[in-house]
This record gives sequence, structure tokens and C-alpha cells, in this order.
Amino acid sequence: MVKESRTGVYICQAGTGAADSVDLQAVAKYAEKLPGVVLVNVIGNNPKLDPVSLGEQIRKEKLDRIVVAADSPGYYKPAFVRGLALAGGDPENVMLASFVGNGAGAQGSTERAKAVVNCAVHGVPYGLAATPKDKPVHPDTLVIGGGVGGIQASLEIAGAGKKVYLVEKFGTIGGKMAMFDKTFPTLDCAACILTPKMVSVGQDKNITLWTYAEVEGVSGSPGNYKVTVRKHARRVDEVACVACNACSEICPTVVPSEFDAGISTRKAIYIPFPQAVPNAFLVDEKSCLWVTSGGKKCGACVKKCAKEAIHLDAQDEVVEITVGNIVVATGYQVFDAQKIDRYGYGRLPNVITALEYERLTNASGPTGGNIVMKALKHNKRKKVDEWVFAPENPKPKNVAIIHCIGSRDHNYNKYCSRVCCMYSLKFAHLVREKLPDANCYEFYIDMRAYGKNYEAFLEHIKEEGVHLVRGRTAKIEEADGQMRLKGEDIIGDKVLDFPVDLVILSVGLEPVGDSEKLAGLLGIARDEDGWYAEKDYNADPTGTERGGIFVAGVCQGPKDIPDTVAQASEVAARVLKSIISGRMEDSRNALSLADIEASFRPQAQA
Amino acid sequence: MAVRANPNLLEELKHYGADDVTKCYHCGNCSATCPLSKEPFIFPRKSMRYLQMGLGDKLKGNLEPWLCYYCGECSDECPREAEPGETMMSMRRWLTAKYDITGISKLFYESWVAEAGAIMLVALLTGIGFYWFGMTKGGGDFGIYAGPNAFLPAHTEGNFFGLGWNVHTFDWIMGAVLGGLLVTNCLRMWWFTTGSRKDMKVPLGTYIKHAFLLPWHFITQKRYAECDKKKPWIIHLILMLSYLTLLILIMLFLHHMHAPETHWVHIFGYASTIGLLGTAAYALNGRLNKTETHYKHSHESDLIFLFLLLYVGTTGILQHFAYRFLGNEILANFMYIIHMMGVVPMLVLEVPFSKWAHLAYRPYAMYLAAVQADVIAEREGTKVPALAPQKQMTA
Repeated sequence: MVKESRTGVYICQAGTGAADSVDLQAVAKYAEKLPGVVLVNVIGNNPKLDPVSLGEQIRKEKLDRIVVAADSPGYYKPAFVRGLALAGGDPENVMLASFVGNGAGAQGSTERAKAVVNCAVHGVPYGLAATPKDKPVHPDTLVIGGGVGGIQASLEIAGAGKKVYLVEKFGTIGGKMAMFDKTFPTLDCAACILTPKMVSVGQDKNITLWTYAEVEGVSGSPGNYKVTVRKHARRVDEVACVACNACSEICPTVVPSEFDAGISTRKAIYIPFPQAVPNAFLVDEKSCLWVTSGGKKCGACVKKCAKEAIHLDAQDEVVEITVGNIVVATGYQVFDAQKIDRYGYGRLPNVITALEYERLTNASGPTGGNIVMKALKHNKRKKVDEWVFAPENPKPKNVAIIHCIGSRDHNYNKYCSRVCCMYSLKFAHLVREKLPDANCYEFYIDMRAYGKNYEAFLEHIKEEGVHLVRGRTAKIEEADGQMRLKGEDIIGDKVLDFPVDLVILSVGLEPVGDSEKLAGLLGIARDEDGWYAEKDYNADPTGTERGGIFVAGVCQGPKDIPDTVAQASEVAARVLKSIISGRMEDSRNALSLADIEASFRPQAQA
Repeated sequence: MAVRANPNLLEELKHYGADDVTKCYHCGNCSATCPLSKEPFIFPRKSMRYLQMGLGDKLKGNLEPWLCYYCGECSDECPREAEPGETMMSMRRWLTAKYDITGISKLFYESWVAEAGAIMLVALLTGIGFYWFGMTKGGGDFGIYAGPNAFLPAHTEGNFFGLGWNVHTFDWIMGAVLGGLLVTNCLRMWWFTTGSRKDMKVPLGTYIKHAFLLPWHFITQKRYAECDKKKPWIIHLILMLSYLTLLILIMLFLHHMHAPETHWVHIFGYASTIGLLGTAAYALNGRLNKTETHYKHSHESDLIFLFLLLYVGTTGILQHFAYRFLGNEILANFMYIIHMMGVVPMLVLEVPFSKWAHLAYRPYAMYLAAVQADVIAEREGTKVPALAPQKQMTA
């Protein structure tokens, strides 16, 4: 060594987040023993740094290198750079040791923090100091979630001849996209794009499709995960069932249809929609009389089934599989509009959410695609009047579409849900197309037409005569059976109060309710909004902190169909890379302090 | 006329309590939520915009802050936590400073130390002055509280430099000075908001037609009652009516208060004292514990004002008790001076220069708003419907 360097280590605490889980004193003790370190200074919580006094200290201690260790040390760097320069040192020699940037953010991160400081003292970025060991990879893959993202990833991986387990919670694959009428900005029929892909999944020999199933446990390590999957009792033999509908006709139990977003009904034994994959019925154990009565009542469907496919006493099945990679594509749920009382959702019958409108305007929906208002209809079974959609109901004359429901709102979700502006424009187009005499108003805060061809789509919708009103609606009120919308037209400088017949709430996207549970099972992180955290926002948007586990689609953050499909294919490529090479990088989390220390020991001469 | 933007406006408004204005992304939720926001005065979003853009002159000529009674609904529902309600409040403080011709108001709002210091100075001078007045007017007997020979006589043909002076003489002088300041500032307010505007040519008849609105809004605060929340209006009305009652009683019937037998003045006086102290304590508790949205943010001036009200109310009733129930006239006279050391700074400083100025500006703004609305309606002829006539499209 030419000259022994004199290093000063300054450890600060930002007072927020990661540093709280790091034992700074322990890190300081550790740093004292590192080579070349002559000064270790814990400068406390949110220190006010004065470059001049820092410079004096640096000169006194004859320091020529500074390591700044903190949650986000870049914040303190300028003061040290100036201090070192004032002391006559080379300002290039200020090294940063970021705890939070290198995974020392969780509980018990002190060991990681020591490793990060060690790397900085040696002048090597943590990420380069030690590379995780490679591990062999099991060739099978698990895809969680059977929406368009999961379908795409499964088809890509299976298309390369590799085995895929596709696990879907609902009774069919297809996800939210199967409910949609049209896609934006092309106005293609969503089902025409999705159903062929769904059928391909059903027919692919390399894909084992488990619908009505959930992941219950994950163990093992990257490249070799053991996954427990609970296959809920479908109670109908998937293979034998020919979807003839005889069971459903006799079934006495009527409940809201999930696939129709609650605007129509289904029976307790049902097929989610006619093009479902697998094309087989299933029994809803929560509403089936036979199941809820413990086998004492009903059972009518069993006798009706010519194929003898119905086994009401079937039990859940738990299977364990081994996979090398896991693709998480669990999608989203929509914001519960009932949380914002002033829009009247749940209270006013003709205030509906975006998903309900998708089903209303869909030709396969309960009104055959007619955009109508809800009307009171007598329910003979329950002996009450209910507000329902029916094809013959009166058509609305004024339709209002309200953006940003539950999004960009500090009281609910702070983030932009990204797709609502565009799907709302699509809604407006469908209103103009199907009800040319109706007025359609869109109330937006900012119009976010960010994608390819989206701006052109916006212009197109404007030309169709949709009234785009800048301003968020404050409330929907009803008087004498007529709803009135109150809002501000910001550009027109007016307060609005006018009658509306149908209000569509463009609800935002939210992480699914059990995303926390799944994140716990998989050992992956979620961001502050609850979406699964990607490994690196720019360079690794589909990887996670855990090797061999990837995220695709909305579960990583709101995105539209093209982006979801692109991510799914990208993930498939990464999965295939590890399978084909047979090796995968182990998780960086698996690195211990000893690994890092070992990498700095003088190598034995070859 | 060119509009000039003042890049330091936001920074300036921070002294008046506007902290979160930049968070606003102009969704219009606040203006639409507000039950008071009606054409042609739509607020608070537009005023937030003026602030963000630094349009100080526009803001100076803006009546809208005074049309808001701060029920807090806009702040509750704001998706950005931009606190539109508090921003309107801070604009009222800023406007008070702008209307004030002396510049004292600006000094007070920008430095609570100056306000508190001025209050203490005036209090000290008042104490010395009243003591000196009591000593010099004749007998100067600190042991006499009521009657013509009282240390500080309420109702007498006293002998003070040969003139019939008593404590009310000070009331009237003070009233004249305060009234003069308020009228001057109101004239400035008129000039900023109406007089200087080329598009606001108001016929004299319109001014006269709406004149009744001044006393109407002053006494009833009816507009406050139009807020969805009614409680703040009731609290404010009780506080205001209690104060007004006490003011009238003290100005005109003070000598009856000193009477040993129960007089109707006593009934009104006690009821108003309870009303004043109760509501002021309620408001102070609300502000200290942030119990309601409109109490969440407090400028120093808000607290100083409430403190003064409570001080004046408490010392006022204590001197009365000291005389009427304890019969301790020395204590009563002592409390009298202590009381006046609160009353005088409160009136002299708070009414023209600080929070209390709204007693004039708010009803006056509502009057001017009615006048302006008439002019705008006249100019635009038939009123344009909320949304322009809807285009009919063929499929």
C-alpha cells in the first residue's frame, strides 16, 4: 500500500424510517475496527452541519476520506464535500453509505448497515462488493392470478415448452378484462382479445390450471420454492360438466353476480359467464342451501345433472408443488365508492361504478348492452321492490361521469389510478354512440391521456360532443326523484347544479384485500400504497427483493392492459432465462456480513 | 390594464396563516361543496388561484374572503389537504392589513410580539391614565366606587377642568376615533373592491337599495346560518349579541348597574356575561385542543383576541361582584382599573387593526357583494344558465 488513508466515518440519523431499526452505536463500534478508520462520529438526529467546523475537525484529525452513513446520506453530502475541500482534501473522497438504499430498512438491519459501512470504507459500492451465489433452478413456474397478465405470462412460458401452474382465486380465468366491453384507445372488443387467450390456456398441455384455488404457503428459496395450494371444492367435476345449465335452472338460491359487478344475479350453482375457462359450473359454498345446511336441504341440482358431475360433498384439496420461479399477477380491486358518502353510491340507485357500467354497456350484460337507468321492480321471492337494470327501462337523458373517485385524494388513495381518465372517455364514447340524444358530461381534474394514441382518442371523444368539464364534482343530491349534480366548472367559472339521470363513478384501483397476506407468504415487500414493491423502479420494475419472484400487471401499481401484457411477457422472458440457463442469482438478502467481509480479505496468491 | 404578479405574495401570506396553498390542484371540490359559494361569487378555489399566481391586486379587490364564514367543509373534503378554509381566513387577515391606512395592522399580523407589546403598552398607559383621572378630578377617593363622588364616576356632573366629564366621555372619544378609523378603512375597502374597478359602475340607487343589508347582516349574521354546520353560527351569534348587549348596557346604563336593588339591567348584564364568557371559553378551548376544523389552525391574533375577551369579561364581572356582593369598594375600584387595562387596548387595537375589524368589514363586504351582483346581473342581461345550451349530436 502506498499510503495508509485516514478515514472519518460520520453516522447520522434522519429520524425517520430505516435508521430507527439500525443500532447506530453498534454500527459505530464496528466501524472503528475497519482499516484506515481513525474517527467515528455519531452525529445524531437530523444534524445541522456547518462545513466550516467540519473542515476544522477534518484538518485536526488529518482525514483524507469521509464516509457519510445514514438513511439517505446524499442529503448531508454537500456539507462534507465543502468541509473536506476547506481542509484541503479532495472532495471526491466523500463516500456515501446509504442504509435504506441497500436494504437496511427493515427490523434487525444492523448487520446490513455494518456491511454497507464496511463497503463504503473500502470505497466500493455495496451492490458490487459481493455478488450473491448462483443457485440451480427448478424448471416449473407458478403464476398467481389468472387475469390478462397471468394468462399472458403463462402462455409465454408454456409456449417455450416449460411447465406452468396457473392458480386463480375466482371460478374462471379472465380477471377484470373479461368484464370489460371495449378497450381503449382502439375500442376493440375486450372479449374478442381475451377469450381466445383464455381458451389457449385451457388447452395448453404445459399449463396446469387451478381455478377456485389459493396459495396457502410458500417455503424454500429462489430456484426451488415449495408452494402449498388449496383447491377449494368446486363440487362440480370440471371434466364431466358440459355447462348445460340444467343445475342452475333448478337451483333456488339467487345471489348477486360477481362477474356482472352485482348488477345482475346468479344462482348458487353457476358458471361465472358463458365463455368461462374452465367451461364448467361451480358451487358457491357460501350461498348453496345444501352446503350451508350441512346436507339437510335441497340438493336438487344433483338429480338434474345428466352427467352426474355434481358432488356437493366434495372437499377442499391441498396440493404441494415445487417451482423455480413465481409470477405474481394478482391485479387489483376497485375503490369502494360507498366510502365517499356525498356521491350517494349505495344510497342513490342510479349512481353506479365503472365496473357496473362496463357490464351495463356490455352486449353480454344484463341489459344486452342497452344503457338504461335502474327502475323499481317487484321481487316476488323477497316480496320487496328493488332497483334493477332491465333492457326495457327508460334511458337516461343526462349522463355524468365523475373522475378520480378515491384517487388523488389525501382522504383516500393519494396516487393516480392511471386508467380512469381513459376508460371514462371510453364510457363517454359508448354513451354518445348508444344514446345520441343524451348529454354526456365528464368531470375531470386533470385529463391524463399519457399513452400511445391516447391524446388522439381524447380529441376524437371531444369531437363526439362529450361535454368535458374541468372540475371535480362535490356531491350528488336527490330531490323529488331527480338527482342533481353539484360541482364547479373551473374553466367556465360557474357553479353547476343541474339534473342528471345516470352517474358513473370512475373508481380508482386498489391493491386486492389479501395482498398483504400474499406478500407475507411470498416474503416480498409492499410500497406505502400497498402495491407489491419492485426491486428497482427503473432498472428492475418486475423483480422483487426475493430472487425468482416477479410481479406483473396492476399488482405492482396501476397500469392499463397494454402495459400489463408487456410486463407479463417481460417477466416470462426472465423466468425462461433462469430456467434455460438452469441457474439464478440468489437474493441479495441472503448475503451475510461475513460474505461481505470475506470479499475484502486479501486473496490468496494463485 | 396589465396585471402584475407578485412572486412574494405566497411568502407574505404565510405570516397571515396561509401555509398549504401550493398543494391545491384546482379540482373545484371546495367551491362546489360550499353552500355559500354562488354566482357571481364562487370561492374559495379562485382566491387560492390568485394566491398561487401572486395576483395581489386581484386579491386586494376581492370580496370573496369576507363572504366565507369558515365552516370548514371545504377543508374537510379537500383531496389535497390544501386547507382552503384556513386560506380564506388568512386572506381576511391579509385584507384587514391592506385596508388599514396606518400600517399598524400589517405590523400586528406579521409580528405577534408587536401586537402583544402594543397591548401591554396601551394597558399600562390606560392604568396610569385612569388612576390619574380618578386622582385629579376632585376628591380622588379610591374608597368610593359608585355615585357622583366615585373615584371613576359613571354618571355625574363631575368637576374636571370645569367640564361635566365622567368615564363615558372617554367612551365617546374612543368611539369617535375608532369609528373614524373604521370608516376610513371601509372607504379604502370600497375603493379596492368596487370604486377603482372600471367594470363596476354602480348607480347610487343600487347603493341605497341594499343599505338595509348592513345592519341586517351585522345583527343576524344570517349568512353564517346558511352554512351546513349550524353550531358555529350559534356560538358566534351568542358571543356577538352578548358583547353588543354589554356594550349598550355599559355605555348607556352603567349607573343602573351600580344600583343595589335588582334592575332589568342586571338580568341582561348577567346573561350576557355568561354568554360572552361561555362562548369565548368554548372557542379558546376549541382552538387549543383543535376540536373542530375551523379551530384547527390558529394565528396568534386569534388567541390574543380570545384572551382579551376572556380577560375583559372576567375582570368586568369581578369588579361588579366586588362592589355589589362583597361591598369592597377599594377592591372594586382596583378591579375597575384592571378591567379598563383590558378594555381599552382591546377596543383601540383589536377593532381597527386586528381580528375584530371584521365586525365592520364582513357586513360591509356582504353589502358590497349584493351591490356588485346587481351590477353584474344588469350587465349580463338575462342570466346565463349554469351550463351553456347543450349541443345535440347525431350518431
